[in-house]
Amino acid sequence: MSNSQTTTAGIGAGPRSALSAWAHHHRQAALISVDKLLREPIASFLTVLVIGVALAVPSLGLSLAATVQGEISQIDAPPQLSVLLGQDASLEDADKLRTEILRKPGIADVKVVDRDSALADFVSATGLESLVQKLNRNPLPHTLWVYPSANTRLAGIEQLQVDLGSLAGVSQVILDSRWLERLNAFTDLLRTIAMVLGVVMSVGVVLTLGNTLRLGIEARRDEIVVIKLIGGGNAFARRPFLYTGLLSGALGGVFGGLLSGAALLMLDGPVKRLFDLYDQAPSVPSLILSELLVLISIGAILGLISAWYSVQLHLTRIKPR
Amino acid sequence: MDLVFDRVNKRYEHREALSDLSFEMRSGEMAFLTGHSGAGKSTLLRLLLLLDRASSGEVSVGGRPLSKVKESRIAKYRQDFGVVFQDHKLLADRSVYHNVALPLEIAGFTKRDIDRRVRAALDKVGLLDRERAAPDALSGGEQQRIGIARAVVARPKILIADEPTGNLDPQLSAEIMGLFSAFNSVGVTVIVASHDLALISRMSQRILTLDRGRLITLGGVSRGINE
Ligand SMILES: Nc1ncnc2c1ncn2[C@@H]1O[C@H](COP(=O)(O)OP(=O)(O)OP(=O)(O)O)[C@@H](O)[C@H]1O
Ligand SMILES: [Mg+2]
Repeated sequence: MSNSQTTTAGIGAGPRSALSAWAHHHRQAALISVDKLLREPIASFLTVLVIGVALAVPSLGLSLAATVQGEISQIDAPPQLSVLLGQDASLEDADKLRTEILRKPGIADVKVVDRDSALADFVSATGLESLVQKLNRNPLPHTLWVYPSANTRLAGIEQLQVDLGSLAGVSQVILDSRWLERLNAFTDLLRTIAMVLGVVMSVGVVLTLGNTLRLGIEARRDEIVVIKLIGGGNAFARRPFLYTGLLSGALGGVFGGLLSGAALLMLDGPVKRLFDLYDQAPSVPSLILSELLVLISIGAILGLISAWYSVQLHLTRIKPR
Repeated sequence: MDLVFDRVNKRYEHREALSDLSFEMRSGEMAFLTGHSGAGKSTLLRLLLLLDRASSGEVSVGGRPLSKVKESRIAKYRQDFGVVFQDHKLLADRSVYHNVALPLEIAGFTKRDIDRRVRAALDKVGLLDRERAAPDALSGGEQQRIGIARAVVARPKILIADEPTGNLDPQLSAEIMGLFSAFNSVGVTVIVASHDLALISRMSQRILTLDRGRLITLGGVSRGINE
């Protein structure tokens, strides 16, 4: 195998240039670390598994939160308010109230729904005609449907709900966006939990992988001593361990990606059903390549951090005697 | 590279391992270091390899005072040395070939140069045919010769050996010492610590004798009793 970086070929050929030696050392160290991982396949697999799970859990939480929140933002906001008038309010009262509400800021439209057409709607929607016929009077009041202007935020709508409720003749104001609010709060919570878990699990990864690497360093103590005795520095001795950390982390990222991809597939059905109730037809995105790459990078970085911490703590302390 | 010990002291907690030690060695010279157990032979070599530092006085190598060598430069500094250990310190999970190649890998040689040099070194110690073997599969004498091949493969300026024949029979010991002389004859500075007086008095090199940390003979060339 000829090497393009060979600079001198004579009998007294010395070490190659610093840069090419450095590149060669890295290639060598990477190969050694692959070899190490393959020599203990079960232990390596367990390490990768732990890292994978640790990465999959927060990633899954963040994916779900992002999906749900994305759907919420697509729902035609803002929702309407139903203003129920008192049983004794007349249609004229309703019209008067309509004009009054229309003068308020942030209102796009107000529609009067008289009690008879509301009942008719109810009957046609539910088919409960016989039940309605048994009633001796229409139980529904006149109702106003208030549409806030499109840019009104949820908090503003809630304020509006309070304002409308205090108007004379209004018995109740129903804001049918409670579920949205709850879902919003829930996804916020999900995201926060995912991030906290992410931090906790990252620390866990660094500690467990760091410990695994410590055992590797201890097992190779003799080799490290010999390397240092014959002129190898910490940089040379630690390189294979850094690569082992990097590689385990990256493989953990791949594994975590597969895990959370599989979980997202399984969650697709339930999430769809949830949104179908609200006339939305979203789908949970399957894991996309860019997310997989992010997971692999995070895994690799965590792996490198673990290795660095373990090496600084244990390998640099090994002094030949 | 010249070696200069200038009034070197090395104190451990209760005892003085080296006291007021001064001597010089020229580049390309060879010397045996002898003395009773605990006389300070290993300590002297350890100072030279910067495995430890002098309590006072100065050791200089190639004109460079070792007290000036920073901790971070020690690894690089050691690359000028080849070291042979009494217990060989071969790595059990690498073949003979890869044990010998290690110093070249550290120094960053190309694969081709490594290959050529490892074979040349193994050839010199007469073990080229064992390059694929595991160190454990070799006899003590063979292991020591592999250790020597590893020590010389990167063409060090100074070759150091601490009791290299400690576990070997007299004939093998003589062979090993012969190898050191051969390396010295091509210009390598060689220091061998040994308490095998019978053996070293038969060699023609200078003998440094330590007694409780002090140098008692600055013996030039020994007389060569057997000649
Ligand atoms: N790390 C240490 N801590 C304390 N004392 C030490 C240490 N290293 C060596 N000594 C002491 O220094 C003295 C010289 O030891 P050294 O190992 O240099 O002797 P030596 O000539 O190599 O002996 P041997 O022939 O048995 O190998 C001894 O008395 C030893 O106990
Ligand atoms: Mg000794």
